Order: sequence, then C-alpha cells, then structure tokens
Amino acid sequence: MALIELKDINKTYNNGQPLHVLKGINLNIERGSFVSIMGASGSGKSTLLNILGILDNYDTGSYTLDGKLIKDLSEKQAADYRNRMIGFIFQSFNLIGFKTAVENVELPLYYQGVPRKKRHEMAMEYLDKLGLTPWASHFPNEMSGGQKQRVAIARALITSPQIILADEPTGALDSKTSVEVMQLLKKLNKEEGITIIVVTHESGVANETDTIIHIKDGVIGQIEENTSHDAWGGPLMK
Amino acid sequence: MRIEIIHEIASSLRNNKLRTALTGFAVSWGIFLLITLLGAGNGLMNSYMGNMESYISQTVLVEGWRTSKPYAGYKEGRRIQLDQKDVDYTKGTEWEGTIDNVTLTTTSTSANLTLNSNSVNGWMTGVMPDHQRQSKIRIAHGRFLNHDDIAERRKVIVVSASQARELVKGDIDKLVGQWVKAGEIAFKVVGIYHTDESEFRRATYVPYSTYKGIYDRSDKIEGISFTVNGPSSLEEHRAFEEKYTGTLKRRHDIAPDDKTGLWIQNGYTNNLEMNKAAHILRVALWILGILTLISGIVGVSNIMLITVKERTHEFGIRKAIGAKPGSILRLIISESVCITAVFGYVGMFMGMIACQILDKTVAQDAVDLGFEKVQMLVNPTVGLDVALEATLLLIIAGTLAGAIPAWKAARVKPIEALRAE
Repeated sequence: MALIELKDINKTYNNGQPLHVLKGINLNIERGSFVSIMGASGSGKSTLLNILGILDNYDTGSYTLDGKLIKDLSEKQAADYRNRMIGFIFQSFNLIGFKTAVENVELPLYYQGVPRKKRHEMAMEYLDKLGLTPWASHFPNEMSGGQKQRVAIARALITSPQIILADEPTGALDSKTSVEVMQLLKKLNKEEGITIIVVTHESGVANETDTIIHIKDGVIGQIEENTSHDAWGGPLMK
Repeated sequence: MRIEIIHEIASSLRNNKLRTALTGFAVSWGIFLLITLLGAGNGLMNSYMGNMESYISQTVLVEGWRTSKPYAGYKEGRRIQLDQKDVDYTKGTEWEGTIDNVTLTTTSTSANLTLNSNSVNGWMTGVMPDHQRQSKIRIAHGRFLNHDDIAERRKVIVVSASQARELVKGDIDKLVGQWVKAGEIAFKVVGIYHTDESEFRRATYVPYSTYKGIYDRSDKIEGISFTVNGPSSLEEHRAFEEKYTGTLKRRHDIAPDDKTGLWIQNGYTNNLEMNKAAHILRVALWILGILTLISGIVGVSNIMLITVKERTHEFGIRKAIGAKPGSILRLIISESVCITAVFGYVGMFMGMIACQILDKTVAQDAVDLGFEKVQMLVNPTVGLDVALEATLLLIIAGTLAGAIPAWKAARVKPIEALRAE
C-alpha cells in the first residue's frame, strides 16, 4: 500500500464564479520517494499541496495517508495529524519573527506537549544537524534566506513526520542557496529515507527529484521518472 | 506549558509596547477610579457614622411636640406635654419584656452659672444616670450623675468643658469639687463632659429628683427614653412605634395620623436605615467604578482584535505545524487576562495610594458647621476584601475582553493565514 493514495479528488472553489480547480486527481506516492509536482500557476498544484497537507478540504474522492482516510476531520484532529505526520517547508519560510531559531524549531513539539527541556535538547540536535548551532539564539531577521530555510527544514523534521511537503522551497533564494537547499533535501531523502514532495513551477528544481508529476488545468498529466539527474548532476537551471 | 504561555505573552507584548501601554492605561484608570471612589465612599460613610454616633444611640427617645392637625375639638399647633401617666404606661405590664431601662428627662431651665466673678449661661436639665449612655456623653473629668445623687436629691451638677473653660482659668479639672451658683442655688461640680475645642454646649445636667424638687414640682416630663428588646427589622420597629405611640396619642388627643404631635427618635431604625444607605452608596460606587472599567475593557478588547488581525499569519503558521484551536484560544485569553491583571494591579496600587493621600490631607481637615466641626472623611481606605473582589473582577474582565478576539483567532484557517503576507 502506498503512503499516499489519492482517488478521484475533486475540488471546486465557490467564490462567486465556481472554479473547478482539481478535476479528478488519482495519484499514489510510495514511502521513501522524492517527488516533485510541477505546473504553471493556476494549474491546481497549490490546492493539491494544501489537500495533501490537510490544510484544506476536498469535495469528492478519497485521500489516504499512511492507511488513514483523511476526510471530514475536525479542526482538532486535522491539527494533530499535521503535527505528527507532515512537515512543511514554505517559500517564505514562515518562521515566527519574535522567536529565536531554536524556539521556532521547538514549536511543533510544544503542541505535542513535550516538556520544555526535552524539546530544547531535540531542537538543538536538529539545528546541529543542519549546521545552525551558532545561530540557535538568533531571530529570523538576523539570518540569511538559506539559513532561515534550513531552520524551517529543522522545524519540519523535528516531529519525524511521514512526509515533508515543500512549497516552492527555493522560490525566495538565490541560485547558489537554492542548490544547497535542494542538495539538503536530496540528502535527507537518500540517507534518512524521508518521503519528500516538492511543489514547484521551476523545471530546474523539479529536475533534482526522482519523479516529476506534471499537473495542468487540474488534472495529472505526464509522470516522468527522472533518473538523469544523478548521472548528470549539472547546475540547477533557473 | 504554563511557563511557555507567559513567555509567549511577554514576547508578544514586547512587540507592541506603546499599544500595550495605552490599553493598559485605560484599565489602570478604571480600577484606579473604582478604588478611589470606594475609598472616598468608605471615608464618607465612616465620617457620617462617626458624627451620628454622638446623637444616636441604641435607644428610643419620645418627646412631646406640637400637633399639626385639629383633633377631638382641639386646634392644631397645640403643645403636647408628656407626664407621669405616660411614664407609668411605658413602664406598665403591656410592655414588660419589651421596654427596659426607662429613663426620664425633665424640661430645661436656663440659668447663669457663676464662680467668683466668672459667669456662663447653662441649660439646666434633670436626668437619670442612664442618660449618659443613651446620649453618649463622654466624661472628661470627674464622673457623671449616679443613683445616689438621684436617691439623695444631691445638689450636684455636670457641666460641659466649654462652660468650664469660661468659669476657670487654666486647667479645667480643678473645677471638679468646687461649688458653682446656678441662679441663687449652689451646686457642687462632680464632672465635666467632653466637648471639642470649637463647640459650645449649654446643657448642664443635675439629678432628675433634684431638678423636680427645685425647678418643677409638676409631673411634667420632657422626654422618655428606653431600650427595646424584640423588634429587629425596620418593619418590626415601625410596627412597635405605631403601637406604642398609638396609646400615647389617644391619651393626649392627638390625631392617629398626626406626624408631629409626638416626636420619636428611634436609634435602632436610624442605624438600620444608615446601614441601608451605606449599602446603597457602596453599590452605586461599584456601578460607577465598573462602568469606568468597562471603557478600559472595551479598549483591551479592541487592541486584542487588532493584534489578532496583525498576527493572523502567525496563527496560520502555528496551526499549520499543529496548533489546535483551543491552544490559540488559550493564548489570546491569557494575554488579555495578563494585560488586564497587570495594569489593573497598577491601577489598584495607585488607587490605594490616592486613598492614603486623601487620608493624610482631606481627612485631616474639619468642616465647620457653625455649632461643631465635622471631619468630611474618616479613614477613606478600602479593605482587603475589596482588593480581592477587584482582582476577581479584573480576571473576569480580562476574559471577557479577550473572548471575541480569541474566538476570531481560533477560527483562522491555516491556508488563509499563510496566504496573507
């Protein structure tokens, strides 16, 4: 059984003019895969990501995550699933400005009720893993984009989630840092076996992943097995 | 978890110093006014009670007055004079067990008191020993009249300190034991009762029996006073007064609904009414204070609403990484309670200081009412009970102020919030 199973997912936004965004999405993503969902803006890729991240509901179909049907959850349940099963990485980092790096990383554990001392230790451990120990007590606005994104990655990893959802993770970074971040995600996938789904509109970013799922006008198009990048290993195209 | 919430609140308040200060000021001001009002109110009540205490005691005093209605062939305006029969009625079997400690006061006679070449006017009144307790007369030197004085019809007199100051130079206590002349009759001064420096009291007291023997041989009585057992509520006292005066009114041919024929001063009901007035005053002050506080609460609520709006994005992040609606709700309400409580306590502290300042300034000044001086405020402070009530009020207020903003924050949808950049 696949880690993620989407069956005939439909989603329509009703803001005045009804907008049918997802038109029957069928998709399976296996445990340990490194996948990108690629499409132009308006293709429905963000909506799909929100559904995968249990941030939004879908109208019809079914979404099963690790054997659990994700449908009509209460807000409390959804929050709990997000906390335990999903790690988010956002384009704009979404760190809390008045909290230091280590406090930001601790936050998901706070919502799990982990004791203060324990979660501080764990957060320091993850920051160390990402080479951010010297920045632990710095605030986000004292850090570079790459550092902020690594803090966000540490925050996503700290709960040992089933999947990492990365929404345009390099969108706000320069090309050198983008490469570093993608290398980091790749390394996490290869060495720790974490399932990573990257949503992007940049083919260069998608190229770094093992599978590229093209989405267009709310339907899944071509699914491309991407084996070339390991051999090729060329620079990221911007 | 608890420490975490305090930490969260501290950092969020640090980020909005000016706004927090302005909002806090509104709450501080509200509580400040509440405490100051209650303190001043207490001072006023204390002063009123204290001043009244010299006039009112736990006794009923009945005196004859002037009728205001024609009745039984008599015109209105007739002077009513109590006499021995009224005393017998009061002491009679009908009131046995209810009326106790009946004491009598004679009519008064003006007389000039002289000692050597000094002279002062006096208002001679024949009284019984209990009169001291009932009229709350404070003896400064010597003693008040006793039962032997009555029994032996002694020619003894108790004068006021203000009269004593006119009669002797220097220390007035040397007047005790001396003989002064009242008109042509010599009385031995046995006591001097206290009066304030500023007031002049003409009343001088001689034994009831002595007075009756010298000045007034009739059975006329000026006043009858007594203590009452039984009635406790205002209604019961009114019923008692009705029944007691009913008989007297029949005896003296006073119309049953004539309010002025008999003058009755009931110390019990006066006290009850004063307690009621004090209660009403306190309630009114609380309402005023709370109304002021409400403007502070609305301020906090308003600020919290703006804060929530500004922090929508942050709440979105928190929710995305696993914050449940309840934890956001708790965060905002604790923040609100925290602002309200901290600034409320500042206000309460300032209010208590203001009360102390009132105590040291206004409360020290006495207002001259002509016949005596009165302190407008006595001990204008609030007790621990009020502080505790105010604390409870602050916590409730903080929760109310935070409720709507918190509910809004808890309803933030994570995707909406993440989109709002």
